[in-house]
Amino acid sequence: MSAALGARLPGRGATPILLYDDECAVCRRMAQWVRWVARDRVGLSTIDVRAIGEDPEALRRLDPSLDIWKVYAKSHLLMPDGTIRIAGEAVAEVLRRSPGMAWCTWLFSVRIFRVRPFQGLLDIGYVILSDVRPIFGCKSCGAPALWARPFVWLAKALRRRDGAKGRPAHRAKFTPLGTSAATRPKPPAP
Amino acid sequence: MNHRLSEPDPRTRHAARDAIPSLDAASFDTRVLKGQGPIAVEFMSYSCAHCGAMEPVLQQAAETLRAREALFRVNVAIELDLASDYAIEGTPTFVMFLDGREVGRAEGPDPDTATVIEALTAPFESRR
Repeated sequence: MSAALGARLPGRGATPILLYDDECAVCRRMAQWVRWVARDRVGLSTIDVRAIGEDPEALRRLDPSLDIWKVYAKSHLLMPDGTIRIAGEAVAEVLRRSPGMAWCTWLFSVRIFRVRPFQGLLDIGYVILSDVRPIFGCKSCGAPALWARPFVWLAKALRRRDGAKGRPAHRAKFTPLGTSAATRPKPPAP
Repeated sequence: MNHRLSEPDPRTRHAARDAIPSLDAASFDTRVLKGQGPIAVEFMSYSCAHCGAMEPVLQQAAETLRAREALFRVNVAIELDLASDYAIEGTPTFVMFLDGREVGRAEGPDPDTATVIEALTAPFESRR
């Protein structure tokens, strides 16, 4: 999925920018992995990995079409040519541009009767991983998808059985601050 | 820092209209604590998925309630002191003020328009 934006935008260099959710432990791990795998032979990164942050205007300065809510909902990769790759397409492009993973990226371009089966599998994998993030302790990711709820409950039950200290129960549509903003270091005074 | 109340970048003017102004500590003082009439403040964070689910509902509620009460938002990821002052335990939390005094709050209401409008207006109804 890509959106043509026409002319190259200021704030974009020659390196694609991957925006990730810094409040989500799974996304942080993924971002670390991308930083590691996307290094060329001299150690320079082929992808600029950045946390989304909390400033909608700063995002719009990168690209006027960016909506911070949508960027938090799915991975966005801002390409140097002004296009944006989203979700599974962003993952495929990250792999394509990662010297360590180049061996597998031809798969995502394979077409059978106008369908890209491997890209489709990657898209499904992205959705599954996105839906099961609460299992891995992402409290800011919202309520898990219906299909993933039994797995989330099971994971919580197992953690309780193993003696992990459970957090106090909160309402289903409420994100406790302990896992998001309250733990963040205070920004420096301007 | 208040990003919403500052002069918008001309390149971003076409972006979706936000019916809910953001407040920082200074503007919170002038617009909420020294404000007159019913005011509702959403304590939120952009990284909170529940706040994301609430957003379209809240925009609609803001339009519906525009004539009756003012609606603002405070980003708890930036305004840590305000979150601490109002003992915000999670997001989204709505705190309702009448003439600068807190009269009620709602934590994580269901993101549907009727529920949110009820949550935002109920504390004022009981004082009329």
